[in-house]
Parts: sequence; C-alpha cells; structure tokens
Amino acid sequence: MTSLAQLAKPWRPVSYGFLDASAKRELRRRMLKAIAIPGHQVPYASREVPIARGWGTGGLQATLTLLKPSAKIKVIDQGSDDSVNAVNLRRFIARVGAAHETSDALEADLIQSRHRIPEERLSTGQVLILQVPDPEPLRGIEPDISKARVMHGDADYGRMWLKLYEQIVRAGRVTQGASYPALVNARHVMSPSPIPRWDVEKLHMARHLTILSAGREKRLYAVPPFTRVEPLVFDDVPYQVEDQAGLVCRHSGATGYFMNEIPRDDGGADHELSDSHFGLKQSRSRAGEPVRIGETWYRNGEFMR
Amino acid sequence: MAYVATRGGEHAIEQAERLYREELGVIDAEKNRTIETTLPWLIDRVMGEASLHARDLAALALAQSGGDLNEAVLLLRAWRTTQPRIAVAEPVAQSDLFVHRRISAAFKDIPGGQILGPTLDYSHRLLAVDALAGEGIRPEPVTPAAKPAPAQQPSLASWQKAQGLLDETRPEAVAPDDIPDLTRAPMLFPAPRAHRLQALARAETGGLLALGYSAQRGYGAAHPTVNELRLAEADIRVKHPSGVTFSAGRVRVSQAEMISKTTNKTTRQDQLELGFCATLGWNEVKVIAGSTLDLNMGKGGKPAADEEFVLYHTEPVEASGFCIHLKLPHYVTFQSSLDALRGVKRQSGARRTADEVMAEAMARSKSSGPKAVDGPASAEEQSTSTEPAE
Repeated sequence: MTSLAQLAKPWRPVSYGFLDASAKRELRRRMLKAIAIPGHQVPYASREVPIARGWGTGGLQATLTLLKPSAKIKVIDQGSDDSVNAVNLRRFIARVGAAHETSDALEADLIQSRHRIPEERLSTGQVLILQVPDPEPLRGIEPDISKARVMHGDADYGRMWLKLYEQIVRAGRVTQGASYPALVNARHVMSPSPIPRWDVEKLHMARHLTILSAGREKRLYAVPPFTRVEPLVFDDVPYQVEDQAGLVCRHSGATGYFMNEIPRDDGGADHELSDSHFGLKQSRSRAGEPVRIGETWYRNGEFMR
Repeated sequence: MAYVATRGGEHAIEQAERLYREELGVIDAEKNRTIETTLPWLIDRVMGEASLHARDLAALALAQSGGDLNEAVLLLRAWRTTQPRIAVAEPVAQSDLFVHRRISAAFKDIPGGQILGPTLDYSHRLLAVDALAGEGIRPEPVTPAAKPAPAQQPSLASWQKAQGLLDETRPEAVAPDDIPDLTRAPMLFPAPRAHRLQALARAETGGLLALGYSAQRGYGAAHPTVNELRLAEADIRVKHPSGVTFSAGRVRVSQAEMISKTTNKTTRQDQLELGFCATLGWNEVKVIAGSTLDLNMGKGGKPAADEEFVLYHTEPVEASGFCIHLKLPHYVTFQSSLDALRGVKRQSGARRTADEVMAEAMARSKSSGPKAVDGPASAEEQSTSTEPAE
C-alpha cells in the first residue's frame, strides 16, 4: 500500500531556496503582473529573509524564487563579484539553493546586481535582478506612497518634468546622478534603481528580462525584453551619461567603459573598470589568454544602438 | 601592472563574524535559560516586535546577537516566516483575559477594581550598587492580599458604552482565515484596521514612543487619558480537526485603551473616542504610545497624525535595516553624483546661476527705487537670463 511518506517529500526544516511555496507562488504571480505592465510597481508581501532589510532582500527574494539547482548565478555589488555584500548574498544562495556560481555575465542564468548592469550585452533567456532601495521615482516630489500611486495611475508626471527643468534652470544641466528616471513602454515612469546614467540605456529594447525588486518597500517591477526604456529628457537637452569615455583602466588598459575612481596620494586619481569580471577578462585577453569577451553595449565610449 | 583579482571578501566577512561571536562566548541551553528567566521584560519586548511568542527562542535570539535588539528581532522574524500556519486561534475578548495588572486613570475606582500587579511605577530608582560588593539582593517576599483579585475583569469600555459615553462598535464579521494579515500581504493606505493594529503590535518600541510622545506633547490632535491598561495572559483557543475547541496554552499580552474627547462631525456634539493598541508580551510604554497614535492617526497635520508616516517609520526590521545599509559601498552612485557635480562646476564659469541672476535683479531694483525689493525676479528676467550657455 502507498504510504503518505512515499507520496510526500521528506520533511526539511527549511524549504529549497529558503522561501516557502506560498511565498514563491506570490512572488511568481507578482512578477508575471509586473512583466505584463512594464514599469508598474506591484506591491508584494515581502517576507523577512535572514539578511537585513536594505541589503538586497528584494533582489534576493526574486532570485530565490527563480532559482533552481541547475541555474548558474552571478551576484555583483557596485559591479564587483567580490564586494563583501555580493559575497555574502552568493554564500546564502549557495547555502539554501545549491546553485552554480559564476562570475561571467555571459554564462549566468540569473544575475543579481546592486547599482550596475554588466558591460557585456545580456541575451535572451538571461534574467537581471536589480536590487532597489527606493522604487518610487516620485519620492523626491511626493513622499507619500499612497499619493504617488495615484499620480502613476493618472500618468501625472508634470512635477517630475518640472523638477528636471528646474535643475537645468538652476545648474545649467540635469543634476540627477544615479537612479535617473525613465519612461517605460511609454507609460510608467520608473526608477531604474541606483545604476549610473551610463547603464540606463542598456535597458532599452534589451534582449534580457530585468526584474527590479525592493524588499523593504515591498514593491517589484519589471522591464520585459524588447521594451522601450527612455530616460526623461527634453527635446533640446540631450541625455548625458557620466563623462567616462576617455578614462583608462589602470589594470587592463581598457578604455570606454564605466570606471571606479581611485584617489591617489599625490592628489590625482587612477581608474579601474567597475565591472570587475569584465576587467579581469580584458587583462587576460591582453596577456594572450583565450577568453570570450562578449559584445558590449558601449564601443569606444559610445552607446551602440 | 598585472591585474590581481582580489578574492579576499569571503575570508574577510567570515573572520569579521567570528570576531563578533568570539566575544559572546559559548551559547548553550543553560545560558539561554538564564537569559529567559532573568530578563523577562526584554524577552517580552523582543517577542512583541518579532510578533512571535516564544520565550526560549527570543532568549536565543538575544544570546546569538549579543543583545543587539534589532538583530534579535530580525533573527526571530526570519525564523517565524518559515513556519507553517497550523491554525487560527479564536478571538480573545477582554473579559476573557487572565489579568495580572489592570489600571485606569479615568476613574478613581472601576468595576472589577484597580489592580496594580507587578510594576516599578512607585519604586525609588536607586541603583543597587551594594549587590556588586556583597551577597547580592534578594527580593522581599510578597504578602498575598486577604482576598485575591478575580482573575477576569470586565472591560471599562463596556460600562462606558452602556452609559452612552462611547459609541457601540460593531466589528465586521470576518472569517478567521480572511483577517487581513500584514505578513502575507503588503500594507496599502488607508490601511485596513487589522493592518494598522498589526503594524502597531509589531512596531519598534522606541519608534512608537518617540512619535506617541510627540502627539502627547502637542504635535497631535488628541491629548488622551489612559482608559484602561492591562497586562494579562490570553488563552490560545484552537479548534481541533475533530471539532473540539481546546486551549493550546497561554501567551502574555499587554493592551492599552487611550480615551479622548472628540467632536462628532455630523452631530457637532462632543463625545469620547478610544484608541487601542495591543502587543505580545508585556510592554506598557509601547501600548500606551501605540494607542495614543491610533487615536491621532487620520486626524491630519503633524507626523504623528499621519498613518503612512507612523506605520512605515516604526517598523523595526525595515527602519534598522535601511539605516545600517548606508554602510554598504555606494561608490558607483557617488561617482555618478560626482560626475554631475563636476559637470555643473565646469559650466558655472560660463554662465550665471539663478541665484546670481536674482541677486543682480534685486540690486537693480534697489538702485532704481523701492519697488519689488523682496519679490522674486520677474518671469521675464528669469527667462531671458537663464538660458544655458552651452
């Protein structure tokens, strides 16, 4: 006779991927809704995970939901695979999900990232999960979430435009640094998370899926593949990415990509590639090692459309 | 220079954690029991903020975090969220509570009586330094009252309702499984009553205190009185699949009702209004502050009267997590801001800022006469003189 023990999976103190089935089901539903309405913030319950809030819990919940044992996963923070919090998240994902780790953006099925999008083009089938501290692009002009939600519903972005206009009037240019607001699918303004302006255009008509998840604020949103993502700009004031095109990486000699600025004792500054594994590949390639460097979004410091 | 990939991160974070744990020493069942039995009020505070009634686990969380309350609450919350829900207990009426302490500031005496119970309210706050030198301090034995107070007490609010001083409240009939649950659905505003009370129950004590105190000091519409404060134990009554209802044990709860005068918007008549807050564990300051806020929220105006402001910013795990996340590297975003800043500086030589334009306009108007000295520069002036130089 068939027993219950044969039918049920063996009991484990913690579910695969830490989150229980009902939490994952909720997240999958919210993700599908987010994909169906690009750029729209979908509220979700956001369970507590064993990582402090504000340290990537939103991204982590999305990653844990999409995780399977065969998945290859890359975790980066500020572009680096070895940044302490990236290491910690990767350790946790390995502990509860036993997935394969990789540093290569071309190989990864899931890339969880804080503040950067890799320099090599992502392709169909890859999922980029961006950690989001503040999902609300209107926060600076309307701190109440409930009111901002109504503004999104009405596509009421006049004050957002006014803010950008005032920056130009006061400072002569848009002074927004990272988290540059972008219009998604010609409908919802979203914060692309605090990625530099350098990275925002990488989301436009991209081949990969991007999930943006804010655990503390309990909101997630998505940019599906081949979706328009347009930074908010006036017709006569072009979008300006960071002035990085001429900088040279002190390790690899590469130029035309986003760099970290390292202050020197003598008052000057060195630069190094912010995308750490891409930098490693560049160095190896220059040393004559066989490495596969993917097609990049930027060439000679120019964004390639 | 060759590129050496630094792979020190993993080693570094492991060692940093070891350094922290080294100071805490061995954690075992005995140490856990000591924490559990000697720090009951701390245990209660942590259980309330974690919304998990488990004294031994709360003690363990405190031991494991070395007493860092935010860490302890996060440990318990992260454990709690993995636990299956076996049953939903029956609602607990006030008159069912097993009361240890129950006081009202609104009347000299109340039906059922004022019961002081355990409290330091009327103690002299003298630090017992002798305890460190000599034989320690032994608590004086309690002399039992000649007639024990009844274990269960009627609620004062029901007397007030019978007197017509308070409106009768009719709770919505909701099946236990359908009660909105903050841990299973996000809070949207205006929040359902259940979400608001759950958020207050889970809120950080210090956060509720700060905002509740601000309302009590005048940054709020209501200046309330303690109608009834209770420290009690509640029976957890659950239905067995066989249909029998049984007690699964007792939990410590505290609750406060704050009462205040308010004016009815339609009848324009003054009436009384109750604010309510309850939490797991005994934590008087939290429930008094929380019910003060419950009275004030929605009345508009200052932060303590704004539901979204109060409930978002008193959430312990979210607030503390975000605050400490600022330690994480932010050099990419900083680089991005730096770039914008340098860009502005480069341009500033070539153009005048709005402030400069304004200052010049003011100087002009001053020299030409007394008009428009403190007004902004006219639209015409602004639009003609602030065109970007590029």
